Amino acid sequence: MVSQKIISIILLVLSTIAILACLIINFSEWIVYTVAIFAIPTWILSLGLLTMAKPKPEDAEERIKEPFTGY
Amino acid sequence: MNLMAEILIQVVIAFLAGSLLLGLHRKIMARVQRRPGPPIIQYLLHSLKFFFKETSIPKTVSKPFYIGIVFILALIWIVGVIVGPVAHDSLLILFGVYAVYKIVEHNSGSSSGSPYGKLSCVRAVLSAATELPLFASIVFVYLVTGSMNIGEIIAYQSVHGSLVYTIPFAALMFFMLIITKSPYSPFAITKDKALISGFETEHFGLLRGFMHFSESIAWYVMLWVFLTIFFGPLNAVGYLIGMIVITFITGFINATTPILSPNHSVMTQITIGAFCFFATILMIFI
Repeated sequence: MVSQKIISIILLVLSTIAILACLIINFSEWIVYTVAIFAIPTWILSLGLLTMAKPKPEDAEERIKEPFTGY
Repeated sequence: MNLMAEILIQVVIAFLAGSLLLGLHRKIMARVQRRPGPPIIQYLLHSLKFFFKETSIPKTVSKPFYIGIVFILALIWIVGVIVGPVAHDSLLILFGVYAVYKIVEHNSGSSSGSPYGKLSCVRAVLSAATELPLFASIVFVYLVTGSMNIGEIIAYQSVHGSLVYTIPFAALMFFMLIITKSPYSPFAITKDKALISGFETEHFGLLRGFMHFSESIAWYVMLWVFLTIFFGPLNAVGYLIGMIVITFITGFINATTPILSPNHSVMTQITIGAFCFFATILMIFI
């Protein structure tokens, strides 16, 4: 979980910088398209991985043991 | 305007409009079935709520694939926003986006380790039959306008009138795709309730919220493309009215039609597609 948190923080920072750079500097179109296609989903996913609620330590094993069959 | 700012604005518009239209879709279905139904904003609230729900990754999944496939789903529909509303680029890229979407359905189910997801994954292969009418529809648009470029198709329609009057059956084929992708569709064999939530069953919490985000954008992009290539140059109000009308029609159809079995679903789509294909050829060449 710690490594997942570190990776998420790094990806969030990188994608934020990439999006802000394209907002400030007028790069050529293909660079902006590439950044938008990869950085926007990365930003949302990494932010989500950081903000999502985690199970309590005593419940964690139970949560991942069985395939989930409904919600 | 700065290109990145335009893309971000269009992505936000697609997410908000798509979420509200899907909420409206549920409301219409409920009213047709004489239920009060959830508020129109409920789909949007669900999408946001899932981001903060407790999330854990089951032992049975293939973890990089399980998360990666949700990322790819968002990625392809952001490509859809860029190719469609932002750049007015080629229809072939949008066809590619749709083809990858089928792959996402397939692999999302297989990465989960759940029997429901895997069965949905098998059905995703069957439901790829819907790509044939979509491809035929795009080919007819090309035959009439001489271009695959959305900008040039809009320009053609501003001179010659909307394509829906020239090739109505090609529009019907595209509309069938929209029905197929609408929630609770008679053709939605990958999300049959017998499979719980189909290929999405094991994706819950944050990942489900992320999928909702992508599916809202997908709904908006599909309606946008349909209105743009068949109903000529439209302004914002035209798009709004068109999207609401299509959502009404699909909601009514889905509320009154039971889901078909996989083989009946595919045969019905192929039959309607074949009829529309030959009808369009007759209209163009005779």
